[in-house]
Parts: sequence; structure tokens; C-alpha cells
Amino acid sequence: MSHQLASEQKAHQVRGFFIKGITVAALSGMAYGLYSAFITYAMGEGVWADWYGENTMLSVFVVVYVLGVLGSGINDLMSAVWALGIAGVKGKLADFFRCIRTKPGVIMIVCAVIGGPVASAAYIISLQMAGSIIIPITALCPAIGALLGRFLFKQKLNARMIAGILICLSATLMIGWSSLQEGSREGAILGCAIAFIAALGWAVEGCVAGFGTVVIDYEIGITIRQVTSGIVNLAILLPFVCLLAGNIALAPDLTFKAFASPPAMIFFIISGFFALFAYSLWYKGNSMCGTALGMACNGAYSFWGPFFCWLVLGVFFKQDGWALEPIAWVAAVVMFLGILLIAVNPLDWFKKKDPCTTGKVG
Amino acid sequence: MLPFNYAILQLFLRIDEADTGAVMEQLENAYQKSRQFKKPVITEALMTAEANGLLEETRYDLDGEQRLRVFYRVTDEGRAMIETYIGAVEA
Repeated sequence: MSHQLASEQKAHQVRGFFIKGITVAALSGMAYGLYSAFITYAMGEGVWADWYGENTMLSVFVVVYVLGVLGSGINDLMSAVWALGIAGVKGKLADFFRCIRTKPGVIMIVCAVIGGPVASAAYIISLQMAGSIIIPITALCPAIGALLGRFLFKQKLNARMIAGILICLSATLMIGWSSLQEGSREGAILGCAIAFIAALGWAVEGCVAGFGTVVIDYEIGITIRQVTSGIVNLAILLPFVCLLAGNIALAPDLTFKAFASPPAMIFFIISGFFALFAYSLWYKGNSMCGTALGMACNGAYSFWGPFFCWLVLGVFFKQDGWALEPIAWVAAVVMFLGILLIAVNPLDWFKKKDPCTTGKVG
Repeated sequence: MLPFNYAILQLFLRIDEADTGAVMEQLENAYQKSRQFKKPVITEALMTAEANGLLEETRYDLDGEQRLRVFYRVTDEGRAMIETYIGAVEA
């Protein structure tokens, strides 16, 4: 009798852990969509409206590259402030300072640089060079992450999970299909190669930092990530791209003007809040579900991004051009089926076996 | 003093097996004032470590109050990883 009760409680605990892992990973994709919508809005308000406007005094290079890095850096720095505040409230600040002096902390910092400034810069540059044709390439990151998880950490990856990842990839392609038909530009091949660096960077970050949150608490992990990314973006990458633009003095000048623009900063504070959960729940989901399932759930941001841009920018702020294509809804259903296939074996339902539970009585 | 998660994992290098309650007993003196020193936090840390192959389940049963106890031990890979990245010496 007590064995049966123990088995029931154990099955309940395992099922709860599994469902929480998937929920956390799925919420990370939704938070990513909200962060994308609010950072897009922030970069159109206050001084940013002048910079991106028709009468801008800035060169095309500065508008494309420098402003992209500046926006990303401010967002990550705001996110770091949120992360430090939450860590403080939850009594984790002392552990944050302890962790950054250890090997796992240093690995987390390296992951933050690879997945933050390096991958983001590669994404922005490739988008400018090759256009939206690069989106399917960057969408490869869950597949690459799953392969890395298999080889680096011996995580489970079978034919059913690979089929699920391919279904998710096809759903992302459905969403990006209309943009693919724009045609290729000159320099598209180099742009695609650079886009692959972005996919590889995010895959490494999701896989290694996700596994890292087995050792480091995920809220401490994300604090390390956002502090590192914000500082490296604004203190190293921004001056570097300004130097390439021929005027390094632009870096402090634009940074000061951006921080002194309240209409935009309010929305950077909001985007930074959602970015915090986009990344922290991504790490936690990957550590609870494994990289393949965690990154597939997170990869649903390719639906949540356009969805929340439509909801926040189109419906709430009444901006034109954010309508959601009907194909996006179909793709969302396809993506859900792909995630389901990675998560559980459908045959287990026909065998009347709970696919979410395992365990043995001691 | 080690970060709390490090201390939980490192503890398994010194003991044969432990459940959440045993981990709390072992770390009580050093971490009882920490706001992370909570049963659900430790249980989730142990299950995450198991999901990633650092720990493995040895057995489970019910305690005197009919509450589930799941016992874990460190795997060979987990031992190597904890020794490499956290260290084997108690802080």
C-alpha cells in the first residue's frame, strides 16, 4: 500500500517537473516576443524617431549598425538592472558575486559574450547584407543546439526528436516565407555565412549556459548574462562600430542622448524587463527539459515575435504594417505539433502509458 | 562560502546518498539564513541535476508523515564535473 502511494506521489512529482519545464521554456518564447515588440517601439520614440527619421543627420552605416548595437546594449543594461534588483530582493546578490569568480561563472560570462554581442551583431550585420533570407538560417539554432547538447552533454536526441525539430523548422520557414520572396541581394552569400555565426552563437549559449544553470541558479545566471552583455555592447562593441563609422566620439554622444530621452527609455525599461525573462526562462527551460525540447519551445518566438508586434504595436499603439499573416497561425499549430513530438512519444498514449512519468520504487 | 547551488551539488561528493531533507540537515548550519534555503528550491535543484546526469535516483519511499522522499547519489560523470568546476573541498 505504501509502495503504491509512494509510486503515485513520485509519478505526480515527475509529471509536475516535466510540465513546469515545458511551461518555463514556452514562456521564454512569449517573453522574447514581448521584448521584441517593446524594443521595436522604444527605438521609434524620442530621439530615436529623429535618428531613424527622413531628416536624420546620421549616415546610413550609423543608422544601420551603430543604432542597432546601441539599442541592444541599452536594452541589456536595463535588463541587467532588473536582474540585479530581483536577485537582491530574493537574497541572491551575494551568490552572484561569489559565482562570477568561479569557473562556471566565467563560462557563463563567455556564453553571454558569444550569445549577446557576437551573435546579435552577426544577426544585425547579416540582416543588412542579405535581407530576411537569413531568418531561416538563424532559425537553425534549436537544431544546432540539440546537436551540441547530444555531443557535449550526452543529452537524449532520437529520430522522433529530430523529426519534431524539423517540423518546428518548417513552421519557422512558413512564417518567413513571404520575406523570402523578396529576392536575394548582392553580398547575400557572405551575409548568410555571417547569419550562421549568429545561429551558432545562440546555439552555444542555449546549450552551454542552459546546462550551466544546473550548477548556477538560473536567476544568478541571467544576472551574469545581462550585466556582461550590456557592458560589452556599450563599452566595447559600440565604440568599435563607431570607429568603423569613422567617428569614435559618436559612441558617448549617442549613448548620452539615448539615456536622456525619457519617451524611449520608458519602453527600454519595459523591453529590458521582458528580455530578462526571455533569457532566464530559456536557460531554466533548457536545464529542466534538455536542449532539444527547451530550445524548440523557446523557438516558438518566431510566432510570438510577430504576434506581440501585432498586438502591442498594431492593436495597442495603432501603428500600421504589423498585421499578422494568416499563415502565421497555421505555422503556430504546426510548431505546437513539432514541440509535442519532441516532448513525448505519441505511441505511449496508444499503449495507455503516461509518457510524462518514469521511476522505480526503492 | 560557496554559492548555495554549488554547496548542494558538492555535498554529494561526501555522502553516499541524500534526499531533500538530508540535504537541508547537512547545509542547515551554513545556509539556514539564506532566502534560498527552502525545500521546493532544493528539490528542484536535485531533479534538475538528475535530468542532466549529474545525479541519479537510488530509491524512494514515504517518511513517517506519508511524504515522498527521493534519494539521489552522484554519477561518475557528475563527480568529475563537480570536482572540475566547483571543487571537492568543502568551503
